[in-house]
Amino acid sequence: MKKSLLLLFCSLICLASYGQSTGRFTMKGIVGDTAGVGLPEATVMLLLPKDSSLVNFGRTGKDGSFEFKNLRRISYLLKVSYVGYLPYQQNVTPNDGDVTNVGKLGMKFLNQDLYEVVIKTARAPLSIRGDTVEYDPKAFKVPPGSTVEDLIRKLPGMQVDADGNIKAQGEEVKRVTVDGKRFFGDDPKMATKNLPAEAINKVQVFNGKTEQSKVTGVDDGKREKTVNLELKDSHKKGGFGKAVAGVGTDSRAEGKVSYNRFDDKQQFSVLGFGNNTNQSGIARNDYQDFKGSQSFNWGDDGDFGFSGGIRYFGGEGDGITISPSYGSGSPGFTKNWAGGANYNYDTKKTKVSTSYFYNSTDAVMDVMSSRDNFLNNSTFKSTDKNLTKTFSGNHRPSFRLEKVLDSLNTIILISNSRINNGDTDYNSFQQYRRGGDTLSNQSTIDNASLYNSFAMSNLLLYRHKFKKKGRNFAASVGYNINNSDGSSRLNSINEFFLDPSNNSSINQQNETESKRNQFKGSLSFIEPFAKKFYWETFYNFSLRKDEVDRNVFDVKDNVLQTNQFLTRYYTNDFTYNRIGSSVRYSNKGLNISLGLAAQQFDLKGKFGQDQSSTSFSHVDRSFFKVTPNVTLNYDLKQNRYLFMEYGLSVQEPTIADLQPVVDNSNPLNIVEGNPNLIPQSNHHVFAGYNMFNPASFTNIYVNVNYSYNVDQIVYNKTIDENLITTTKPMNISGGKNYGSYVYLGFPLKKTKVSMNVNAGINFSNNPIYINNVINKTKTDAYNFGARLDITPSDIFTLYANANWNIADTRYSINTNQNQKVVNSTYGADMNVKMPKEIYFNARFNYNSYVNNQFGFDQKQPILNLAVYKIVLKNKRGEVRLTAYDVFKRNLGISQSATSNYYMETRTKTLSRYFMLSFTYNMRGMSASVKRSNY
Amino acid sequence: MNFPKYNLMRLLAIMLSLSFSTAFAQKMEGEITYEKVTAWPKLYGTLTYMSNEERDRIKQTWGDDESKQEMRLLFNGQKSFYTSSKHLDNDAGWSWNEKEYKLYRDMETEKRTDIIEMLGKIYIVEDSVRAPKWKIMNKIKEIGGYMCMMAVTEDTVKKQKITAWFADNIPLGVGPDLYGGLPGMILELDINDGIVVTTAKKIEMKPITDDIEVPKKIKGRKINEQQYNTLVANHVRDSFKARRAFFWTMPY
Repeated sequence: MKKSLLLLFCSLICLASYGQSTGRFTMKGIVGDTAGVGLPEATVMLLLPKDSSLVNFGRTGKDGSFEFKNLRRISYLLKVSYVGYLPYQQNVTPNDGDVTNVGKLGMKFLNQDLYEVVIKTARAPLSIRGDTVEYDPKAFKVPPGSTVEDLIRKLPGMQVDADGNIKAQGEEVKRVTVDGKRFFGDDPKMATKNLPAEAINKVQVFNGKTEQSKVTGVDDGKREKTVNLELKDSHKKGGFGKAVAGVGTDSRAEGKVSYNRFDDKQQFSVLGFGNNTNQSGIARNDYQDFKGSQSFNWGDDGDFGFSGGIRYFGGEGDGITISPSYGSGSPGFTKNWAGGANYNYDTKKTKVSTSYFYNSTDAVMDVMSSRDNFLNNSTFKSTDKNLTKTFSGNHRPSFRLEKVLDSLNTIILISNSRINNGDTDYNSFQQYRRGGDTLSNQSTIDNASLYNSFAMSNLLLYRHKFKKKGRNFAASVGYNINNSDGSSRLNSINEFFLDPSNNSSINQQNETESKRNQFKGSLSFIEPFAKKFYWETFYNFSLRKDEVDRNVFDVKDNVLQTNQFLTRYYTNDFTYNRIGSSVRYSNKGLNISLGLAAQQFDLKGKFGQDQSSTSFSHVDRSFFKVTPNVTLNYDLKQNRYLFMEYGLSVQEPTIADLQPVVDNSNPLNIVEGNPNLIPQSNHHVFAGYNMFNPASFTNIYVNVNYSYNVDQIVYNKTIDENLITTTKPMNISGGKNYGSYVYLGFPLKKTKVSMNVNAGINFSNNPIYINNVINKTKTDAYNFGARLDITPSDIFTLYANANWNIADTRYSINTNQNQKVVNSTYGADMNVKMPKEIYFNARFNYNSYVNNQFGFDQKQPILNLAVYKIVLKNKRGEVRLTAYDVFKRNLGISQSATSNYYMETRTKTLSRYFMLSFTYNMRGMSASVKRSNY
Repeated sequence: MNFPKYNLMRLLAIMLSLSFSTAFAQKMEGEITYEKVTAWPKLYGTLTYMSNEERDRIKQTWGDDESKQEMRLLFNGQKSFYTSSKHLDNDAGWSWNEKEYKLYRDMETEKRTDIIEMLGKIYIVEDSVRAPKWKIMNKIKEIGGYMCMMAVTEDTVKKQKITAWFADNIPLGVGPDLYGGLPGMILELDINDGIVVTTAKKIEMKPITDDIEVPKKIKGRKINEQQYNTLVANHVRDSFKARRAFFWTMPY
C-alpha cells in the first residue's frame, strides 16, 4: 500500500481513463445520508474482509460519488467514515462485469446521546460492531454480592447452565480471561464463580485464537468463544508470597517468610526471618518488596543547599529506619530474628506509609589478636584474647505522609523511631611483652553492660511551586531525639611486672544517662532567570543540645564510692547556621553550578562533676568559615558524560575533644582533650568521564580525584616508658590523597563473551605526631582487575574475575617499618542448567594476602557449591542443597599495619556447613544461569 | 451534530473552495502538539528475561511512574516535520543531551528523511515512504474535538502492538514517530497497550512559520529503510541475549 493521497485523488476523482486489464474491476457508488443527499469528502476505505487490512482508500467527490479502479477481483469490505455519522460498512463481491456499482450507501447519523455519553463524557472508545461485543455491566443491575456468573445470566445473548457452563450466542465459552490474561488455570468457571460482579468494568465476548495457535504462533484459523472480563481499576488486586526454610549441619538453620497483598491504592506486606547463619540484615529485594512504593524517597532529610549542610545526628545502635543490607554476612557467630509489617496507601494526592519492624541479634565474637608496637627506639608486643557476647534488639515504627494539597503545594510529614535495648559481656586477657619475650604487664578484664535507648526523628517538609515554572520554595523543620540510659560493671586487674607499684585493680559501676535533642530547619528558594539559569538561595539551621550525666562508682567491699575522676556531668549546646547561594546554568546538556556559603559554628560546653556541682568549667567557641562549591555535569552527544566537582567541607571539633580534661578510665590508654582545636577543612576535587557505545556494548570510564586537608584533627600519641599511651587531638595541615581509576568493558564475542579491565592508582600522605615527632605515612597503591563473563547459552555460564592490589607504604620515621602488601583475589562463578530443571552453581573465591615486611602470607580458598531443582506446578518450589566453605578456610584472619604497629587478628567465624532448604514462591522460581543487566 | 463548529465551518469552507482535489490537501497547514507519556514499570515488564518476581517488584516499587515529553508535528499540504520538544516533568530545569529525533516527510514525492540518534550515532534514513499494513477497526473516539477511527498494526521488528487513532477529516497520512499512511492524521499512537502513548493535546490549523524543509547539510550516516530495520532488529536481538534493556539506546 504505497499510495499517496494525491495520487488517489487523481485516480478517484480526476477520472483519468486507464485500460482495464483482464480480471480487474472498478467499484463505484455514492455515499449519502439516509435522506439520499450525497456526502462529499467522505473517507472511503477498502478492507480485506478476513482481517480488516486496509488495501485502498479515497474520498468522495462533491456529489458523494467514489470510484476505485483497477481492483483485484476479490471480495472487499467497504467502509465509509464521515464526521457526525456512524461509520458504515458493507461487503462487496464483484459481479461479472468490469464495473461493480454498489449504489447509494445511506449513512446513519451518529446518535447524539451515544456520542455525548460514550465518547465525550466517558472518553471511552465505542465499539460499533466487529468481532467484539462489549457489555457495560452498569446497564444490567445485579444485587450486591453477586458473582460474575449472576451478571452474565442477565446479559442478552448469553446463557449459564446449572453447572456454571457459559454459552454465548449459542456457542460454548471455552475461555474466560481477566484483563486479557488467563485467570488461575483453564477452567472458565474459576473467574465467573469467584469474582464479584461489582469488580467488573466491561464484559467482552469475542472469538479468540485457540490456545494451540497462540503457542505455535501459527494461526490455524479456528476461533474459540472467549469472554474477557475487564476489571475496574479499584479491583486490580493481587497477592504474592514466598517462604524459605533450611536446615544444616553444625546446627545451622534459616527461615524467611514474606507476603504482599495489593490493589491499585494499597500495598500491605509482612516479612519475617530468623537464622543462625550470620544474615542479620534485610536483603535488598526483601526490603523493596516490604516497602513497596515507599522503598525510595529522595529529599526526605529536608536539608537544602549544596553538600555540607545539616550536621550528622547519630547515636549508638543502628539507624532509625530500616535499610537494605548489601554486604555479606557478619563475622563471628550470630543468631538473628526479624519481622514486621508495612502498609502503604497511594493515590496521586495522598501517600501514606506506615511500618513496624523488629530485629534482634545475638552475637558471639571470639577474637585473638597479636600486635607488634614500634616506638622510636624500642618495640613491644601485645596479645589480646577476648570474647564478646552482645545482644541488641530494635523496635522501629515509622510513618510517612505525603499530601499534595493542590498542583502547587505539597507537604510531607515523617516520623521514625527506634526503641533499642541491649547488653554486652566482654572478657579479655591482654599481655604486653617488650624486647624479646619479657612479660611487661597484663590485664584481665571482665565487663558487663546493659542499655536502653530511644531515638526519634520527625520532619515536616513543605514545598511550593510558583506559577512561574522553575520558581520553587521549600521549608523544613525537624526535631530529633536520641536518649540512652545505660549501666555497666567494669572489672579489671592490671599487673605491671617491671614496676609492681603501678599494679591496679579496677572494680567500677557506671551509670550513664545521655539525652540529646536537635531542632533543625532549612529554607530554599529557587528562581529561574534568563531561561537557562537557576538561582538557589538557602539557609540551614541546627541547634543540638546534649546532656550527659555519668556516675562512676568504685566498688570496695560491696560499698559504692563515687569516683571523682570519672564521674562527670556535662551539657553541650551546638548551634549551626549556614546561608548560601548558588547559580546553575543549564543548557544543551551542560549543567554548571557555582555556589558559596557562609557557616557559623557555636559550641558551648559546660561540665562539672554532677548537676549540683558548684564549679563548672566552660568551653565557648565560635568558628566562621566560607565554603565554595562548583559542580559540572555535561551530557555530551553519543552517550558521553563529563562531570566535575570541587568543594570545601568543614567539620568542627567535637566538644569532647575540646574539653581540657584527662580521661584515665583505661589506665593504659589515656585520652586528653585540647581546647585550642579549630575546625578541620578538606578541599576535594573529583572529575570523571564516561562513554558507552551501545552498538558495540563498549564502556569506558575514567576518573581522577584529589583531596587536601587543612587543620585536620588527628589523634597524636605519646607512649611513655611504662607503655602507657596518651592520645590528644591536634590540628595538622598537609595530609593529601589523590588518584585515578580507569575502566574499560567490551565484548570479545557479542552476547557470548565479554570482558572488562580496570586499573587504579592512589597516592596518600598522612601526617601524625608520635611522641612529638612528626611522622608522614606515604602510601602508593596500585590495583588492576579483570573480569570475564562467559555466557554462551542458556545452560552454561561462567563469570570469572581477578584483582591485584599493591600497597607500598613508607614512613618518615621508623623507615624499617616500610612495607609492601600484595593482595590478590581470584573468583569464579559457574552456573549449569541440567535436564529436569536441575541447576548447579559453584562459587570459588581465592584470596592471597602477602606482607613481606612481617612475613605474613595468607591464602584463603573459599568454595561454595549449590545444586537445586525446581519443583511443583508453575515452578513454584525449589529444593536446594548448599555447601558453604567446602575447604573450611573461612578463618577470619586479618592483618593491619601502620608506622608504629603491626596487628594480626583471628576471629572465630562461621565456616563449613551444609544446608538443605526448600523455597516456595507463589510467583514461580526464577532459575536462570544468566545475570540480568537492567 | 456533535463536532466542533470550527471544524465544520472549515470543512464547509474547504469543500466550497474545492475546485481541484489537490487544493484540498494544500490548505492543510498547522501544528499539532502531542504529549508522549512513557509508563516505565510497564516498559520494564516487556523484558521477557526478567522473572515474574522481578517484574512485580518494579511494578510495586515504581507504581505508575511515568515521564512526559512534548512532541511537535508541523505540516503543510506537502510536507511534515515531527520532532521532540521539551520535557514536561523537568521542574528543576536540569539539562541533558537531547537525542536527535527529526522526522521529515514529503507527501508529494513520497520521501522520508529521518534524523535519528540511536546506538550512539546519528543516522539519516532516506527512503520512500512505506506504510505499514494497517487494519481498520470498528472503534471510534474523540481526540481534541476530532472524531478518530482506530487502526492497528504490528511492528514486527520490535514486536510491538501499535494502535493508532486517526482523524479522517485531517486528510494527511502522517502522525507521530514513523507511523502514517492512513486516510487521516494520527492523533493518538499507543505502543503496546499503554507503554508509550502519544496523544494530541493541541491541534492548530494555522499558517506555520517554522522551517519544515529537510536541512541542506546534515551530519550523520546515511542509510535506507532496510538498513535501518536491520540495525534495529540486530540490536533488539543482541540486547535480549545480553539481558539489557534495548530502549535506553534507541527510541522505543
